[in-house]
Amino acid sequence: MNSKREKRERVMGYCFILPAVVYMLIFIGYPIVYNWIISFQDVTATTLGSSARDFLGFDNYRAVFGDPTFPRAVKQTFFYTIFCLIFQFVLGFLFAMFFSKNFSFSKPIRGFIVISWMLPITVTALVFKFMFAEGNGIINTILLELHLIKEPIGWLIQEKTAMWGLIIANSWVGIPFNMLLLTTGLNNISTDVYEAASIDGANVFQRFARITLPLLKPTIMSVLVLGFVYTFKVFDLVYVMTGGGPVDATEVMSTYSYKLSFQLFHFGEGAAVANVLFVCLFLVALLYLKTISKDEVI
Amino acid sequence: MRKGHLTMRQKNIILNCIAILIAAIFLFPIYWIIINSFKLDGEIFASVPTLWPKEVTLQAYKDQIANLASPLKNSVIIAFGSMALSLCFSIPAGYGLARFKIKGSKFFILIFLVTQMLPASLVLTPLFLIFSKLGMLNTYFAPILSTATISIPFTILLLRPNFLNMPKELEDSALIDGCNPFTSFIRIAIPISKPAVITGACFSFVMAWNDLAYSMTFNTKATMRPMTAAIYNFMNQYGTKWNSIMAYGVLLILPTCIIFVTMQKHIVSGLVSGSVKG
Repeated sequence: MNSKREKRERVMGYCFILPAVVYMLIFIGYPIVYNWIISFQDVTATTLGSSARDFLGFDNYRAVFGDPTFPRAVKQTFFYTIFCLIFQFVLGFLFAMFFSKNFSFSKPIRGFIVISWMLPITVTALVFKFMFAEGNGIINTILLELHLIKEPIGWLIQEKTAMWGLIIANSWVGIPFNMLLLTTGLNNISTDVYEAASIDGANVFQRFARITLPLLKPTIMSVLVLGFVYTFKVFDLVYVMTGGGPVDATEVMSTYSYKLSFQLFHFGEGAAVANVLFVCLFLVALLYLKTISKDEVI
Repeated sequence: MRKGHLTMRQKNIILNCIAILIAAIFLFPIYWIIINSFKLDGEIFASVPTLWPKEVTLQAYKDQIANLASPLKNSVIIAFGSMALSLCFSIPAGYGLARFKIKGSKFFILIFLVTQMLPASLVLTPLFLIFSKLGMLNTYFAPILSTATISIPFTILLLRPNFLNMPKELEDSALIDGCNPFTSFIRIAIPISKPAVITGACFSFVMAWNDLAYSMTFNTKATMRPMTAAIYNFMNQYGTKWNSIMAYGVLLILPTCIIFVTMQKHIVSGLVSGSVKG
């Protein structure tokens, strides 16, 4: 009797869950597998429609790894991700600490800042492109007014500075995300702990280093890993702000893969680059799953 | 109060002022989008940008109205279509994961967590080939089907905790009164969870509305482009007409801003549970 009921419950459960699982398998799972197949095939604009495409073995990978742009894109993807993470995390943490103080507008203002995370990246990219413009961009104007620079800088059109423009724009999107997750973590720390520490004579810095940081460690880990994944997969922002230029200076893996597939129509090579991106993300996702299953905090 | 210490009131005022200053600096780009959409061409091309337009004008909007009609229509269709599709799959799944004891539910949650982390650029090439084979390029199906993959896992993870917190007695009594699990889901669970479902709907809408990668890749025909792709193409053609570009931008951020301002609380807490909680 009881086991019959259990069985019925299980069947009902699957009826609710499976449609979504199947949908994701069809539109994400299958494409990921298909991507590996494509990466071993000769897929160009002419062979696009035909079902019998030549098997190339590792030729696509060889072509990609032989292209000097590829190692550059890999290096730049990591550079971009690491500096975005540093900016986002440090500023997000400072914001979270500041807004966790008790004052009348703390919650509404903190909530309001989150809007930058929800805006279309396309628009964010465009407004930052506008602000970074060489001729009459607001950033150059301010820096000139403050006498920090002598002449306007072509932020996004110079190889040396373009990446920093992207990093700043992306950090603007990422700060609220870091802030929110860290705020949740901070709220979980009981105020009693701080009070006890103050009574024992701990100063602000000691309380931060000895209480906040250790208790926040699990949250910090998941914020960093999630931040890494969300930053590493950047596409829209780079594509709209610089298009990978000037002279490949901001080319990242996703834009490089896009170029190979949809501008040069070397679909096989585009798929190969996407697979390298996948392997990188997969390793980080594993690390993430390991941390959340160990801590069970979030 | 010790001597030299600020009173609570003074401290409150100072902290509020700092907070407002931080918000003003941080949100400046949004101000910049809006304010520049009201400037005339001459002012946009001036060598020193103005913080406030000399003449507030709707000229940029009027110039673009003819170009905007079709992308706006496409964006609305894609975003609402994707939202409806996403909710059809994610509400039952979020409910099922919370309500029924089944083998592998932890595994399914992990699958949704991981698929949510995967980028569009990973599946762009294979999906393009699949949609091209099915003759679905330059239709509404391709962007709707693909953008729903972003919001389905997110909405499931957002809704599950909500269904978990729902009092089970309500449903149990419905079952005794003759409801079956499907009718009690539709008549009891969904109405009780209205705020969470609406939050999920908003996220699904915004995620599809904001998408550039899928829509731009699958719908290359100008008449099928949504706003995001249209604004990108416009920028490539008229790179320095920033007032017109920002007018597009205002229309693009408008739905997001309205949703955000009206339901900020739900959105902010939803963001946390949708992106991390398992």
